[in-house]
Formats: sequence, C-alpha cells, structure tokens
Amino acid sequence: MSIGWYLAVSAFIFAIGAGGVMVKRNPLVILLCLELMLNAANLALIAFSRMHGTDDGQVFALIVMVVAACEVTVGLGIIVAMYRRRVPVDVDELRELQG
Amino acid sequence: MTIHLSLILWLPAVAGALALLGRRAAGWVAFAGSLLALAYSVLLLADFDAGSGALQYVTDETWIEQLGIHYKLGVDGLNVALILLTTFGFTACTLWAALSREYPAQFFMWMGLAHSSVLGALVAQDLILFVLFFDLMLVPFFFLTGIWGGPDRRQAILKLFIYTLVGSLLMLAAAVAIGINSGSSLDGTTFVLSELDRVVLPEGTQRWIFLCFAAAFLIKMPAFPFHGWMPDGYRNMPLPVLAVFSAVLSKVAAYGFLRVVTPLLPDATADFQMLILLIALASILYGSAMAFTTTETRLILGYSSVAQLGFITLGVFSLDDDGAQGAILQSVNHGLVVIPAFFIVGLLAARAGGSSDLRDMGGTAFRAPVLAGLFLVVALATLAMPGSSNFVGEFLILFGVFESKIVIAIVAFTGVVLASVYMLRMFIRSMHNRVGTGVDPRDIKLVDAVVLVPLVLVIIALSLYPQVLLDKGEETVPGKVQAAHQAAEGEAVAGR
Amino acid sequence: MTSVKTFAWLTLLLPLAGCIVNALGYRVLRGKLPGYVGTAVLFGSFVSAVLMLFSLQDLAEEERHVRAVAWDVMATTGFDGELALLVDPLSVFMTVTITLVSSLIHLYSVAYMGGDRGYARFFSYLNFFVFSMLLLILAGNFLFLIVGWAFVGAASYLLISFWYRRETATAAGIKAFVINVLGDVGLVLGTFFIFKGTGTLDYLGSFEKAAEISQGDVTAGCILLLVGAFAKSAQIPLHTWLADAMEGPTPVSALIHAATMVTAGVYLIARMWPLFEQSASAAAVGAIVGCLTLFVSATIGLVVTDLKRIIAYSTMSQIGYMVMAVSSGAYVAGIFHFYTHAFFKALLFMAAGSVIAAMAGVQNIDKMRGFRGAMPFTFICFVLGGLSLAGVPPFAGFFSKDEVLAYVADRGDWHVALVVVGYVTAFITAVYTFRMIFRVFFGEPSPEARELEGGHLHHADVPRNPVTGEEEDTDVGFPGPEHHIAEQELPMRIAMGVLALAAIAAGWLQIPNVTEALDHFLEPTFAESRFHEELHPSDALTFGGLAIGALCGIAGIAVAYLIWVRRPEIAVRMRERFAPLHTLFVNKWYADEALDRLVVRPAAWFGRFAQQTFERIVVNGLFVGGPVALVRAGSAAVRSRQSGFLRAYAALMVLGLAGVVLWLLLLG
Repeated sequence: MSIGWYLAVSAFIFAIGAGGVMVKRNPLVILLCLELMLNAANLALIAFSRMHGTDDGQVFALIVMVVAACEVTVGLGIIVAMYRRRVPVDVDELRELQG
Repeated sequence: MTIHLSLILWLPAVAGALALLGRRAAGWVAFAGSLLALAYSVLLLADFDAGSGALQYVTDETWIEQLGIHYKLGVDGLNVALILLTTFGFTACTLWAALSREYPAQFFMWMGLAHSSVLGALVAQDLILFVLFFDLMLVPFFFLTGIWGGPDRRQAILKLFIYTLVGSLLMLAAAVAIGINSGSSLDGTTFVLSELDRVVLPEGTQRWIFLCFAAAFLIKMPAFPFHGWMPDGYRNMPLPVLAVFSAVLSKVAAYGFLRVVTPLLPDATADFQMLILLIALASILYGSAMAFTTTETRLILGYSSVAQLGFITLGVFSLDDDGAQGAILQSVNHGLVVIPAFFIVGLLAARAGGSSDLRDMGGTAFRAPVLAGLFLVVALATLAMPGSSNFVGEFLILFGVFESKIVIAIVAFTGVVLASVYMLRMFIRSMHNRVGTGVDPRDIKLVDAVVLVPLVLVIIALSLYPQVLLDKGEETVPGKVQAAHQAAEGEAVAGR
Repeated sequence: MTSVKTFAWLTLLLPLAGCIVNALGYRVLRGKLPGYVGTAVLFGSFVSAVLMLFSLQDLAEEERHVRAVAWDVMATTGFDGELALLVDPLSVFMTVTITLVSSLIHLYSVAYMGGDRGYARFFSYLNFFVFSMLLLILAGNFLFLIVGWAFVGAASYLLISFWYRRETATAAGIKAFVINVLGDVGLVLGTFFIFKGTGTLDYLGSFEKAAEISQGDVTAGCILLLVGAFAKSAQIPLHTWLADAMEGPTPVSALIHAATMVTAGVYLIARMWPLFEQSASAAAVGAIVGCLTLFVSATIGLVVTDLKRIIAYSTMSQIGYMVMAVSSGAYVAGIFHFYTHAFFKALLFMAAGSVIAAMAGVQNIDKMRGFRGAMPFTFICFVLGGLSLAGVPPFAGFFSKDEVLAYVADRGDWHVALVVVGYVTAFITAVYTFRMIFRVFFGEPSPEARELEGGHLHHADVPRNPVTGEEEDTDVGFPGPEHHIAEQELPMRIAMGVLALAAIAAGWLQIPNVTEALDHFLEPTFAESRFHEELHPSDALTFGGLAIGALCGIAGIAVAYLIWVRRPEIAVRMRERFAPLHTLFVNKWYADEALDRLVVRPAAWFGRFAQQTFERIVVNGLFVGGPVALVRAGSAAVRSRQSGFLRAYAALMVLGLAGVVLWLLLLG
C-alpha cells in the first residue's frame, strides 16, 4: 500500500480534529478534538517510520501519547475545577486574557 | 604577596548569600563580608606597585573557548583607587543599613551582589566580562529599589531599567563588534582587552562603536540630556542604596571610557571629542542650574552629581594627562563626598518630619552643632573648595581642558561658581535661618556618628594628602588617553 | 634656616590648633575659657612671628628667601604641588602685622562677645580665619595661595553669618562667599596661564621664568590674578559684598576689614610683582581700578548713615590707595599703608563696636548724639583713629598715604591724574571721618548716651534687626542681655589702647629723610624690581605732597566741623542742592542693582527655565515621553488583536500553518 493512503487518512482525521477545535464551544469536546489531531499526527509518524524502516517515528509516537495523556489529565482537571466553581464551561465565555 | 582578585570579587556576594541565613544578624554578616573586602583592598593598595604600568595580580582563565572569552581579572593604576572607593562605599552603606534596622536579610543579599558586580566591572580585563558585570549591576538595584523604595518606586525603577538597558544593549552590540572585527587581525576572536589593544580598527567602524559605548556610559552617569531617569530614581531609592548608587555606579561609566573607549577607539574618540566635551559642559551648567532651583535635597545632590560627572567626563575627553589623572581622582572624591551627603539628607529628613524638602527645614545648627559641623565639611568638599581633594581633582581636570580647549575650560569655571551657590544654599536653608515649623532640631546620635564621622575623616585625610592616589595612577592613567591624544593632534595638524 | 622654618610652621599652626581645640571642646570649655584659649594661641603665634622675623634678619640678605616644604600634595603629570611655605621679608612683615592686630582683636572679643551663646564657636571661627590668612600669606606656591585664598573666603562666610538666625546675615554670608569664589576662579585661571608659561607652581621658580611667558599669556594671567585680588579686596566691580558683610559681629568687621582679608589683594599684587612688571597693561588696570574704587567708595562713605558701613566704605577706599600703589610699582609704599591702616582701622571698628553696644545694637548715626561725655575713652580712641585716617600729621596714616601718593606721582604720565584723585579723596576722607565723629560724639546727648552717663547700659525692650526691623531670634545668642558692654571691660580697653598708640606712632617707621626702616627691611623681596631704583621721589615732590596731604586733611576736618557742628542747616541745603548726586551716592552708585540685573537675575532665570520648562518639555517630554508614547501606541495596536476567543486563536493558528505549508509547497 502506498504511503499516500496513510497520509490521506491522517490528514482527514487531522482536519476533523482541527475543525472541531474551531467550531465547538465546549472545552471537553475541544479536548477530544485535540486528541484526534494528535492521533492523526501519530498515524503519519508511524507510517513514515514504516516507510523508512527505522524505529524513530514509533518512538516519537510513544512520546506524543505520553504528552497527550498528560495534557488530557491536566485539561480534565481544569474542566472539573471549572464545574466545581460554577464557571460557565464555554470557551467563548472564558476570555479574561483578552488584551 | 599574592592577592587573589577573585576572592575580593566574590566575597561580598557570598557574604550576602550567607546573610540570608543570618536572619536577625543578616546586616552584620553582610557588613563583615564588605569589611573583609575593604580590608583586602586596602592591602591591595598597599601592596600595589605604583612604579609599574603593567597589570598586576592577573587571573586569566579561558571561559568560553569557542568565542574567545576569558575570565581575566587584573589591577592597574586606573582601577586600583576605584576598587578601594567601591569597597569603602559599600561597607559604609551596608553598615548604615544594618544600623538602621529597617531592612530584612534579603536586602543585604542584594547589596552583596551589587557590591560584587561593581567590583567585577572594575577588575574585568575581558570586554565581554566587563559588559556582563556592567549589566549585572542593574539587577540588584532593580530589587533594592523595587521592594524597599519610596512611593513611586515602580515607575522609577522601570524608567531606570529601560534607560540603562537600552544603553547596555547598544554596548553589547558594540563589544561584540569590536571582538569580531579585531579577530581578523589577531589569530582568532578574542575579547581580552590587552589583545584588542594591539588592533586599530578602521575609522568608520570605530565611529559607530564609539557612539554605542558613549550612549551606554552617558546614560549610566547620567549626563545631560540622558538624565531623564535620574529625578524619579533619586526620589525613590532607599537612601543607603541611593548613596552607593550615586557614589559608585556612575563612576564605573567614567571608568569605562578610560578603560575601553579611549584606548581601543582612539580615532573615533578624537573625532567626537568636541561633541562629548559639549555634552559634559551642558551637564555641568544644566546640572548646576537645576541644583540651585530645586528644593528637594535628594535632587540637589542628584543634579550636583550630574554636574560633577560632567567635570569628570570633561577630564577624560580633554585627552590630556592631567585631565585623565584628575578624572580618576575626582571620581574617588565625588564618591567619598556623596555618601555622607546622602546620609546627612537622611538625618535632616528625620528631623523635618520625614520630608527631604528644603522648605520644611531650617535652623538646625544651634541644637545640632556636631551635625552642622560635619555637614559643613561635606558641603565645602562637595563644592570643591581649594584645600580639599576635590579641588585637586578639579584643578587637574580644568587644566587638562585648559590645555586642549581653552574656551570650554573657561565656560566650565562657571560650574565651579554655581557649585558654591547650590551647596551653600542647601547648607544655609537646612542649618541656618529660622527654625522651620515642624523641625525637631536635635544632634546626631552615636549610632549615626559611627557611620558619618569615619566618612568625614576620610575626606579630610584625603584632602591633606591626595598624592597617595595620584601616585598610583601616574604610570597608567595618562597612557590610556595617549593614542587618542595623538589622533586628535594629528587631526589638528591635518586640519591646518 | 631651620629656626626660620620652625617658627614659620609654628606661627601658621598655632591658630589652627586653637580652632580645633575650641571646636572639639565646645562642651568642655566653660565660661570665657574658649576666648582665652583663642587669644593665647594668637599671642603665641605673634611671638613666634616676631622670632621668625629676628631669625630671618640673622641670615645674609640674599638668603632671605626660605622655603619650608612639608610634603607633596599634587606632584603629578608635570605639576609640582607641594605643601610649601615661603618666608621672606614681605611675608614676615605681613605675618607680624596680622598676628599682632588679630591677637588684639581676639582680646577685644573676649569681652565683647562675652554674653554670646556661640562663644566657643566664635573663637573657633576666628582662629580658623587667622590660620587661613596666614596660610595665604606664607604659602610658597600658587596652589597653597589658592587654598589660603579660599579658606579665607570660607572663614569670612562663617563669621559674617555668625548670627545665622538673621536672614540678612546668611544672605550677606553667601554673597561674600560667592563673590570670593569668583575671585578664586580668577586666581585659578590666572595660575593656569602662568603655569603654562613657566611649568612650575612654585613662586620663586615661576618668578625666575617670568620673562619666558608669552606677552598674551602674562597679561591674561595677571588680569585674572587681579580678578582674584579685586574680589578679596572689595575693589570695583566685585566690591558689593563688603558693605553687607557688616552683618557680622563688630570684632569680625575689625578683623576682616582692617588687617586681614581685604588686604590679601594688595599682598597678591606685591607678591607677584615680577609678573606684573612683565605686563604693563595689567598693572595699569590694577592702578586705575584702585583709583576708581578709592574715589567712588569715599563718595558713598560721605552719605551712608550706618556707622559700620561708613567705616567699611572707608576701608574700600583705603585699600584702593594700596592697590593703586602696588600696581604702580610703589610696593613698599603700598605695604606701608597696609600696615598703618591695619592699626587705625581696627581701632575705629573697635570704637564703633563700643558705641553700637551702648546703642543696644543700633548702627544708625542719625540716632546717635553726644556720646563724648558718656564714653570718654572710646571718644579719644575714635578721634585718634580718625585723625590717622584723615591723614593729619604726625599720625600714622599721614606718612603712609603721602608716601603712596608721592611714589605714584613719581611714575609720571597718566599716573599724575591718579594722584590728583588721590588728594581729592584724601579731603573727602577727612570730611566723612569727622562727619561720623561729630555726629556720634558731639551735640546734645541722645537718651542712650544719657542712660550711660548715669552708669547704666541701654537695653532695647525688643531686640530688632537693625536692617529689616524684624524681631530677633535670640536663641543663638544675639543680642543676649549682657551683650552690651560698651567700653567698660578691661580686655577691650587694653586692645583699644594698644591700637591707639599704634595709630599715633606706627607711621614713624618710615619718615622721609629721617628713617627708611621699612624700605631696608623689605629690600630683599623687591631688590630686583625695575622700580626699586627708578622710583625715588625728589624732596620737592615728597614734602610738597606732605604739605598738600596735611592741608587736605585739616581742611576736611574744618569743613566737617562747619557743616555738622556749627551750621547743621548746611547739610540739609547741600542735600537738596545736589539731590541727584546724593541719590547716586546713597544707592552706592547702583552697583548692587547692576550686579543683580547682569548676573543674579539671568542665572536665576536660567535655573527657572531649566526647572520649569526645559526639564518638563524636552527631558521628560521628548526623551522620556517620546519613547513611552511610541511603545504605548504600538502595543495598543497589537493588543486589539488579542480578543480572548480561543477558537479564533485556533483558526488563526491553522490558517498560519496552512500558509506556511502552502509556501513551502509552492517553493518546492
């Protein structure tokens, strides 16, 4: 199977993720979409790794997974904290950092 | 005798760090560190061989080989007196702060770091090392002012920081440019000053490098019209910090001219001699005029520093033996008088209900004869009364200028007259006339005398025998302006 | 040789020691002890000075230039600044005169200042002043000349504003100090010009090389030295501080304006004669300014009503004679006049102090009358001093003034015009001196004098500043209740008595065709001068001058007697007749106003401009405000992009990324 197909799938998933991040307002969903994007990248990495016949890409993918796990943990923690404090869980409402 | 410069250099910083552990005794730990450094630098002065023009007590380690940066320290006639001034000034101000019991351990940590960084800038014999220490000086003062300063400290320190940082950046660029440009003539890039000294850069390159350095130093001094940070800074710094800032830091800038600019960039120095002389002259006149109109005592001293630094710059850029010698002597003199002057301002403010404004003072002399007497000595020394060491410095400076640019010398003499106006005005309006409302005239306590009396005694001793410092510089200092002097002379010949 | 040096150092350092002891011991020394300490060291200094004179006389004539060097002070890069003294006949003569008069003034002050609360401080300052003056006189090089010069200025400032709660006193003090600093600057610049030509700061060295200095440099140098001399000696146009300096206690006036400070300029010119003889134009400037001053200040003395100020203007006038003399080559005559003047002027000030004390601090002669009976001793002293000042034979001032005029006349040319002015002024001098005497001591006794005749001193109910009428702040001592001692204390009588004798007899040191003691004594200093041989007034000139001088003096006294004793209405008529002239004189020829317009106001304006306009607009506006505004505007523009919308950021990021990728693709 040519590498092109893998990349096409990867790009498709990435696009879905990116679109979700841009469209959705619930942080929980945004986190999910981010996860999609990361996994799309993982797919591409592993595909390249296969193509070159080295393990480097797989190592990267593993690291990305670890980072993703951390990120989700922190992100979920923040969201839970927001629920507890009764802060509106909507990224459009959360704009204290505006200039 | 072997003297390890690194020891003097780092001792105050280490003592400062130890002071953090000291809690209650923090001030005394820091003071002990400064005192040791002072004792060591007195030893250095005694051991220093005035007859040799070479660098002494050299420490030379390669630091960053790829860039040719060395950790090179050394002492010669140019910096030996200033090292002593620094250790003395910091010791006095640390003692003052320790005795006042107003400051916590962290304060003394920063004082120690400031002390070390100033010493570093003075003993560094590598251009990058110099720049590094020059910028490091700013950090402790950021915290010292930002935490313990007056009501407008935030704004003041921001102004100071931005002003000097701009200068520092220009200087860094200039320093790198010197190293890179000289590297092609030497075997590989180096920043060691003695190596750089052997290369003469093309005049065009020299010019812009000169302007960058000059901007950095003139801001630090400060010279007119780069003194925008000064009024706010002087109003808001805690007094012991301000005293040491005014006494020591500004001198590093004057020293920088003689250490880096005049020997490495002789042609540009000759080209821009007139410009800098005019800036210095403007500083003298403007500083004096401001000093005799403002009523805030801190600012009177601040503007008088602008004027005095103008004289020092005048001495450097007379490009004359006498002028350079006078500039170094005057740097020490001004440092020595400004510390007790600020101390007295503190004492006066304590007697005038916390205000350091002249309008709230008056008539203190009768109940406080000792304070009045000490203030009188300091005031007369500040106005460079003949018989004081300040006069000897000013005499040499003005003669240097007299020989090279006679008109500027004659105009500069107005500054001498104006100095007597503003210092006497300050003395009379705080000590004489009727007792101000809300003034509590009482004499100084023993605690204050412990700081003030030694300072005044040192002023008197140096006045009786300024030769001790002049001897040290005799072999080295004139050499620093020689190349530039020749360049200026050559130009004069070509101009005819 | 060594003994000369030892005595020189001793003479110089004794007053300094007294100053330090009095300053440090202000709490320990009780009662009048500080006064006695101060006076004792001064007498010690005087004795030492006399011994120095004798040991100098023991040396051979050509060896009478002794240099005593202590240590290097500024020996670097071609300078030879040593702490050095030069002892030669000129400096010794000055030293002896100064220490003698100063110790008498100290003695007088022991009583006069007895009630003041700053007693120890006063003597400390007084000792310091004398130390400074001796340093000025004995200095062996330009550097220490300048040091002494400035110390004198500082000491005079301290003494003039001694009663520092009076704003008039502190203002007078700062005025004196600043004008003196102006003089210092002249001196320093002059020294630069001389040093440039000679390469040495030492007197003897630079005098030897005086001929090597270029003409322009020596003229510029000498004129600048003259600026220094004018400032110290209160010559036009730097004279305005002197009248104000009368704010100081009376012994201070006696000290500063009789024997010491104001004569420094005369000494300077006499000391620098080898330089001035190189530059005829500089010497001419000195002579003309001296002549101008002696006339102008005499005219002011004629109309001023403040007792001390009359004497002060007469001092300016007499110093004018001296400056004119030494600038015209009549060095010995100038020094001779300095010496007699020291005695009779100190005497006049002391006597005036006595009167002022009896008036409870009031100095206006309009309010004084008839003190003759109340204070006979003071009256006699005042008259003796006045006769000497007026130049009546055979008093001291008679011989010295006429020697000055005879020698100047012998120069010929335009110098004769100066001499004519000198004689006219001698007449005016006699008039204003006796105007003072007749108005204070003659006539119907004033209430104060009556009170004193009854054996009681007058006390003001509320002490007021005589200048402004403001109520005094008596905290610092003035004018304490027991302050007014008039002439009743013994130390004052001794001091005045000795000076009175000197005012009679001091002139007999040098009487034409009888004795030339001073000429011989000073010969080693001036032997090589061009004018030493050249100037020898003929007998006709000398005795003709003496006769004219005596005539002027006696005529002046007669006129004064006529106007102020016999027919007081003449004074009023004269004032009306010459109203414009009177206004001019009373306003002191508008010198203060001119100085104010030309110097003080522009400087103040510049300061205000810098403070209020330039600092605000250029420094804070352009240099601080400019960059700040720039940064503010820039950040404001960027800040509006920071919407805070997370999704917008994400979209931007994606777009940007896509852009980069596209660019790479297209490029590839």
